[in-house]
Amino acid sequence: MVEAPEVYIVPNFISEGYFTAKVIPRELELTGAVTIKNHQTLRYCEPVGSDPRMTDLLLHRAAEVARDAPPQNTSLVIVAHGTGLNENSAVAAKRQVAAIRDRAIYPEVVAAFMEEPPEISEWMNLTTQTYVVVVPFFISDGLHSYQDIPVLLGIQSENSAPASQQDVFRHNPYELRNRKLYYAGAIGTDPMMADIILDTVDRFDQQHD
Amino acid sequence: MIEQLLQECLRSGPIQLGELVVREVEPGRFVIRHWKDDESQQKLRIETSSIAALEIVRYDEQGNYRALKGAPNLRTGWELRLESVPEVRQAIDYFYPGAFSTWLGFNRGEITPIDLRQTLTRQTGMYRVTQRLADFQAEELAGRFCHSHSGCLRTILWTIDGKAPEKYLPRSKFDPQADQLGECRQEHTKDGPAGARPHHVPFLCVEACNLFVAEARKIVKVHSE
Repeated sequence: MVEAPEVYIVPNFISEGYFTAKVIPRELELTGAVTIKNHQTLRYCEPVGSDPRMTDLLLHRAAEVARDAPPQNTSLVIVAHGTGLNENSAVAAKRQVAAIRDRAIYPEVVAAFMEEPPEISEWMNLTTQTYVVVVPFFISDGLHSYQDIPVLLGIQSENSAPASQQDVFRHNPYELRNRKLYYAGAIGTDPMMADIILDTVDRFDQQHD
Repeated sequence: MIEQLLQECLRSGPIQLGELVVREVEPGRFVIRHWKDDESQQKLRIETSSIAALEIVRYDEQGNYRALKGAPNLRTGWELRLESVPEVRQAIDYFYPGAFSTWLGFNRGEITPIDLRQTLTRQTGMYRVTQRLADFQAEELAGRFCHSHSGCLRTILWTIDGKAPEKYLPRSKFDPQADQLGECRQEHTKDGPAGARPHHVPFLCVEACNLFVAEARKIVKVHSE
């Protein structure tokens, strides 16, 4: 399908983890960062989620979705998948949380996960501020960000309409137990992602020349 | 190479791949339609970029998400007008990812179908349990999930322990030359114009897909509870 002699493979994944470390190399029969086979050179890049601009993207999404929430009274929750299958899966989200904390915009910044603790369903106990902004650290608005996380947050019931027909982002803010909750779309849908993919390729060349 | 071959194919006449009919209407101008629209007189919505295909393939007529792109439920009512072979190739890849290249590889003898046992043995994580799928369950699943009428239009080239899963599927399901739209198409065109039939491009399945594996997981899970 791809005939070029030089091929860069950029995983459109939010973090290093089980899929980038195991499944993609297995399925593409990669032997390392550079694999030469059938007269083609395959270069296996980092996932897009490792790009340094992810921090800006997350902050941009948070500010955009909660325009009327005063940052000094806001808890920011970065929600990611997390999995018991690979310890790196949660690392990217935790790294982003640390970078956002360093910027001192929000008094409280926490990471929460779907499949490992601290779990996103506990958001009420993980945060203390009146305003809570939840940004999914995901590539696309798919089943997890459209359906699973809203259910875990308690802003949607389990048996609702198909994910593709919902408008979960249009009801912000959700008022729950004296809190105002804002829920953002996945960051991977941002137009900046195309540039990030190209930069990922450049970074590969800088690191492997 | 792929584009050159696509160009040559289209020069010699319209092609049909899955539910698509692709033709070069005049040099350098191409039209892609749903085969049902190719013979009807109804007004079609005109699109002029391959990217429109991404939207067309996403939902069926009822608005359900089409997870399986090979399913025989592509929407009708549109016409893609494209002005270059790379655009045509891109559109075909949006409709049927990898299908045209797979056919070229097949012609060159470069395609090795993967036995289902090999596919399942390779699975890890939550799909590891699919290794426990029995042969009879795999046959039943193929009969239901891959059937050309309601499942998928691809021609199956893979095997289960070296044997084609033909217990619940017609012989034609394994024949690259057979048109998987088959009877359905004949019925539809019975009264239609007797124009030149498009050249049939085999739409091949060389390995059970991840949706098949996900179904296999459900079967194993139900039986182990």
